[in-house]
Amino acid sequence: MTTQSRIDAQKNLILRIHVVWRILFSLLAASALLLLWVGADFADMPLWQKILLSITATVASVASAFGAHQISKRNHAGRMASLVLDYLAFVACLVIALNIGEVFIGIDALGQNFGRGIPYLGITVLGYFLGVLEEYFPRKNSTAESSLKVVSRWVMFGGLALFLWQVDVVNGAIYFFSKLAQPSGILYAIGVLVFGVSIWTMSRREIAQALNVKTGHEQIINGWLFLSPNLLGFLIFFAGPLLLSFYFSFTDSDAIRTPNWVGLENYARLLNVKFVTLASPDQLARDVVDIKVYDEVGRFTFGDRGILFAAADKFFWLALRNTLTYVLFAVPLSVIPALILSNVLNSKLPGMKFYRAVYFMPSIAAVVGISLVWQWLYNATIGYINYFITLGVEFWNNLFNLAVVDPKIQWVSDENTALFAIIIIAAWQTMGFNTVLFLAGLQNIPGELYEAATVDGAGPWAKFWGITLPMLAPTTFYVVSTTTIQAMQVFEQVFILMNPPEGPNNSTITLVLYLYRSGFQNFKQGYASAIAWVLFIVIFGLTLIQFQRQRSSSIYEN
Amino acid sequence: MNLKSYRFVLFLSNFFIYFILTFFAIVMLFPFFYMLSTSFKIPADTFRYPPRMLPRDPAVIEVEGFEQPLPLYYVEVDRERREYALAQSNIRIGVYAPPENLDATAERFLTEVKPTGGATNQQTVNIDGKDEKLFDVEVYGQVIPMIQISQTTVGEFIDPQNPESMVYQNVRLSEPVESIGWHPENYTEVIELNNLGRALTNTALVTILVVLGQLMTSILGGYAFARLKFPGRDTVFVFYLGTIMIPFVMLIVPLYQLMVLIGWTDRLAALIIPWIFTAYGTFLMRQHFITFPKEIEEAALLDGASRFQILYQIILPASVPAIATQATFTFLYAWNSFIWPLVIINVGNEKNHVLTLALNVLRGRASDTPNLILAGAAIAIIPPLIVFILGQRFFVESVASSGVKG
Repeated sequence: MTTQSRIDAQKNLILRIHVVWRILFSLLAASALLLLWVGADFADMPLWQKILLSITATVASVASAFGAHQISKRNHAGRMASLVLDYLAFVACLVIALNIGEVFIGIDALGQNFGRGIPYLGITVLGYFLGVLEEYFPRKNSTAESSLKVVSRWVMFGGLALFLWQVDVVNGAIYFFSKLAQPSGILYAIGVLVFGVSIWTMSRREIAQALNVKTGHEQIINGWLFLSPNLLGFLIFFAGPLLLSFYFSFTDSDAIRTPNWVGLENYARLLNVKFVTLASPDQLARDVVDIKVYDEVGRFTFGDRGILFAAADKFFWLALRNTLTYVLFAVPLSVIPALILSNVLNSKLPGMKFYRAVYFMPSIAAVVGISLVWQWLYNATIGYINYFITLGVEFWNNLFNLAVVDPKIQWVSDENTALFAIIIIAAWQTMGFNTVLFLAGLQNIPGELYEAATVDGAGPWAKFWGITLPMLAPTTFYVVSTTTIQAMQVFEQVFILMNPPEGPNNSTITLVLYLYRSGFQNFKQGYASAIAWVLFIVIFGLTLIQFQRQRSSSIYEN
Repeated sequence: MNLKSYRFVLFLSNFFIYFILTFFAIVMLFPFFYMLSTSFKIPADTFRYPPRMLPRDPAVIEVEGFEQPLPLYYVEVDRERREYALAQSNIRIGVYAPPENLDATAERFLTEVKPTGGATNQQTVNIDGKDEKLFDVEVYGQVIPMIQISQTTVGEFIDPQNPESMVYQNVRLSEPVESIGWHPENYTEVIELNNLGRALTNTALVTILVVLGQLMTSILGGYAFARLKFPGRDTVFVFYLGTIMIPFVMLIVPLYQLMVLIGWTDRLAALIIPWIFTAYGTFLMRQHFITFPKEIEEAALLDGASRFQILYQIILPASVPAIATQATFTFLYAWNSFIWPLVIINVGNEKNHVLTLALNVLRGRASDTPNLILAGAAIAIIPPLIVFILGQRFFVESVASSGVKG
């Protein structure tokens, strides 16, 4: 036999093993499907999980059978099916094996020792910067340059080793293997090995050639491979939950019992409102509506007539009212000053970058921390804000010889000012961010426009209204819509600043706060999901307007 | 136009610009200064009105004959403002006046006056139909029976150099002598006693893992979107784009149930793993990689480099600014997040708290010590500020450019 024919025989053997392996895989998936519906172990599994697993098993089984057929016909599609299935199974086995070894839960244990390791992590980072430093030295002799690199590598390595030692990685590894050494753990570990070997043999070059693979096919495999960690995680932790949320909004889920399908009941309760004409403005609500179902949300009075607004879920409508009020004030208050400031900043004077950085600072600080600071600034007796108001009133009175009374505002405990206190914080915090966005928009306006306008004799105001504002329109829409989306989700400021978070007389209950309260304090998670979808629809409507307006400016460049 | 007056107008307008900018800069920075200064104060100083910016300590002095150092106050002696030490407080004094002229008052220590006619047989006088007890009060060497109008307490202030020289006056209305004094021990207290140390290391761990994980997945995904052609790519990309504007609160309920299912409630893993897959970061990375010249990549492919080698050895070293930007973004997001930790980590499980959660607990626990609360807030706010100052060059520019591109 020649060498060539021996290699061919070897290839054929490997491919034959792969065909058998694919058939085996297909049968295993089919039996798993059978077990899922017949086996006693899965009797009390929630229906959606059962359906999800069934679909997975069916697809895997069919695809594997298809792969076997294609490999036996020496077709490249067989290789692709084989690689995809084995890769997915490999990832699944790996994740489950890691989970059995309690790697994910073990992050808590790492957290316990992490403080000890931080200094050594610092050494590692120092080592990295040592390596970066090398680039700044002139390349006179090559030996000095490489020695710095060597030192950098050793410092990094040493720091990392010391860090791992300090966070007790040795005991962690021992614990991992002791946990893995149980039947299911060993099974998944074997799975990792088997699927790994299968992927490795299938991706070898000579096997690829035997299956007539071309560079285009290779790029497809590479593309999905590179995208896969991201896409898998995205499907599991984003797209999946999103669908689940939609499903939950039609159930009475409470996070413990199996959810029951209730149809549109959650939405019906949310949107169940009633407008009743009142005979007199101060007529009691119980005289006109069934107070077992409806609560009064508010009333509008015109002279001696009035309209009562009642709803089945009063808190939702109060939350919607507060959130919309908040958006209505917080967005202009953080956009208009930003527009003015950015125009001032756009002058080519020295020090503008400093101011830009200063304005940006509030938007990067933790909202929780910021809210705590403002809580004390708002303090009615010792806070700085009332102190400044007092100083201002005194100055005013002395200047004009008046007797204006110091208002002594009870910022957070007065229902008339509580929401406004939150609005001021929001304006303060997002103004700088918006300023930077506007500034970038301004710097994209061609200077020739202004020069031409100057030649035509336009003044600063005419330039602002005639050139700046129209040219800035795309930026303005972007800023307004992102600020609006952010503002619709206001939660942290309210939660930290107000005690209780709903504020005095529910004056600061917001949609997200109400969602949190329904879902995680009353554990009506189905209802909370319905609130989430209503919130989304409101946000989506607002964003859609922005998308329509901004269609002219392109999103991607290629 | 006259050059001189033109210069004057220019100066005036520049002055006006800097005035506005500085005013807003002060507004922006004031809460931070307030936070820092309060975090170095003692509790009594934080509740003072009117509030003051710099933290202060009450001054004390060692005086012979006293074991403890005595607090210093300003007192007026011989029309001169002098610093005296408070030797004794809560000394009770009575205000006395003769029954016939209640305006002619005299203040005496309660121990100095004796009941008129002896303790067992005290004389009284009837004023407005009420019997008032009479006391013997000595005025300029004369003993006059008087009634007690009111009682008050004073402190005994002594001259530290000359303890014989004493002054009596109301302690509460006296102004204490103070010196600027910083109390960095507030920080050690809040870290050691209020669990902020563990929360700080937890936050650091979570943030580091989220940043590294997110960079890894978004670089790989962004490269696939930007440079590799495969069927379904554009569909998936549009799908990714569409989800960018979906607010996170949509997910808390189902994600919570998913965590219950996996058994990650109360675990740090729940704060990390779901956050390392991001559509937005992938989108930003894709936008960056698409600007990288294709020719270099094709040349490397011809030399037999694999896609991974190209990404790791050629594209990544040239993408440090973009990666630094995204790392900064992710850092801020992970460090500052609150609602998800609030939902997933139990209030009682303090060993898995992150900073924002620990602050939420501290807010309730230390509501009478704003200095500790604001020290905690400073611990949460300062690390992102440092990262911001380091990454400012990349960060602000890229916020600006990403904003215009959408």
